[in-house]
Amino acid sequence: MAVCVAVIAKENHPLFLRTMSPEEELKFHYTVHTSLDVVEEKVSSLTKSSNDPRELYLGLLYPTEDYKVYGYVTNTKIKFVVVVESANNFLRDNEIRMMFQRLHVAYTDMFCNPFYNAGENITSRRFEKVVENMMKQD
Amino acid sequence: MSRQNSARADGKKVSSELFTLTYGALVAQLVKDFESDEAVNKKLDEMGYNIGVRLIEDLIAKGNVGRCHDLRETADIIAKLGFKMFLGVTPVVTKWSTAADEFSLILENNPLAEFVELPSGHENLNYSNILCGVLRGALEMVQMEVEISFVQDALRGDDTTELRVKFIKRLEDAIPAGEE
Amino acid sequence: MADTDSVFEFLHMQIVEYIHDVHGKESENNATTKLEEMGFTIGQRLAERFTKETARFKDDLDVMKYICKEFWTALYKKQIDNLRTNHQGVFVLQDNRFRLLTQISDTEEFIVPAAKYLSLPCGLIRGALANLGIPSIVGAEITTMPMCKFTINIQKH
Repeated sequence: MAVCVAVIAKENHPLFLRTMSPEEELKFHYTVHTSLDVVEEKVSSLTKSSNDPRELYLGLLYPTEDYKVYGYVTNTKIKFVVVVESANNFLRDNEIRMMFQRLHVAYTDMFCNPFYNAGENITSRRFEKVVENMMKQD
Repeated sequence: MSRQNSARADGKKVSSELFTLTYGALVAQLVKDFESDEAVNKKLDEMGYNIGVRLIEDLIAKGNVGRCHDLRETADIIAKLGFKMFLGVTPVVTKWSTAADEFSLILENNPLAEFVELPSGHENLNYSNILCGVLRGALEMVQMEVEISFVQDALRGDDTTELRVKFIKRLEDAIPAGEE
Repeated sequence: MADTDSVFEFLHMQIVEYIHDVHGKESENNATTKLEEMGFTIGQRLAERFTKETARFKDDLDVMKYICKEFWTALYKKQIDNLRTNHQGVFVLQDNRFRLLTQISDTEEFIVPAAKYLSLPCGLIRGALANLGIPSIVGAEITTMPMCKFTINIQKH
């Protein structure tokens, strides 16, 4: 379902990026990087507004011709970005939301491994498996 | 979104996450401090021993442990009381030797290792080795000398986590109350 | 079985003893720093875990309130008893019965050695706050056992 899943550190460097096809990795690095500005904008404008739902899930960040880019930001300012194909009309907002929640749980568990230090690239097998599942299901 | 947290109503005064993560920080520190996995294992066992000695004093003082008549009874108490208290889980007591002087404790899940993925190059690290020390210390206080080792560890890809407990001898009126 | 959660305190006491043995030989300060660092990583991880289902924070004060209520309760099964601030970045959190001090004897003469049991908890608070975007310096003092005051000095950010 997802064609790209990325985890971005507080300081905005990528901690993890996986794409459906490895040749597209560079392209998606660019997509994800661009989306960070939108995340920042969205969070700051939401926080100012009085009807901020204060949800971690930020919804659709922006659509392109081929893709839809979704975002999520944890309370510790870790950003998750998920890219799906625009042609994929089966995905409802709620399913995207659930995808992010699974990703968040996996990230938190990974972060609690005493041998992992904050800011390091993510190499956990368990985390990778969760991401692989997100890219498989349809 | 709610701000409910997983405060468990189990009578524990501190959260299990705090316990698990503090233990993790300790093991990570020991791995930095010592050259070999064996030295880390040994240190964890020593620390466990010191904890075990105090824990059993606590249990006895509160009148929660009576005298055990045989090893089976002891094994039962270790599993149902000791482990429950230390880890909040009850292991299965099984694989008795024919002479009934050895048994295994099988942990379906090990809360100490909940989030752990061992770094490469630490194949000999017994991450949860503190458990061996706790049991050794506690049993010594009730005049039992035992040998305890990990025979399986799910962290290293084994099917389950298994501790082997071997009864060595009864310590006749010995006074091993000192710390190591 | 009543009141048997001495397990965590025993573990913590062993850690403090070990760190002072190994890292405190040259100076006491090294041991304090080491324990503080350990606490920091624990606090970081706990904050990550415990705020997983928490609504997005509005500001620093929102975070501080969260630490005193939900976070403290999740950790120690009780809230901070008193929170004071000078509105210039200093917060004083008072816990009238701090969990990690209850096993240590409660006479006056224990207050000084008891202080070494506060390095890790201080680091823990600093780590949690840092992960939630607030850099700080955290200190603690014991007035009467087992009452403990944590002073948080928020750094400009």
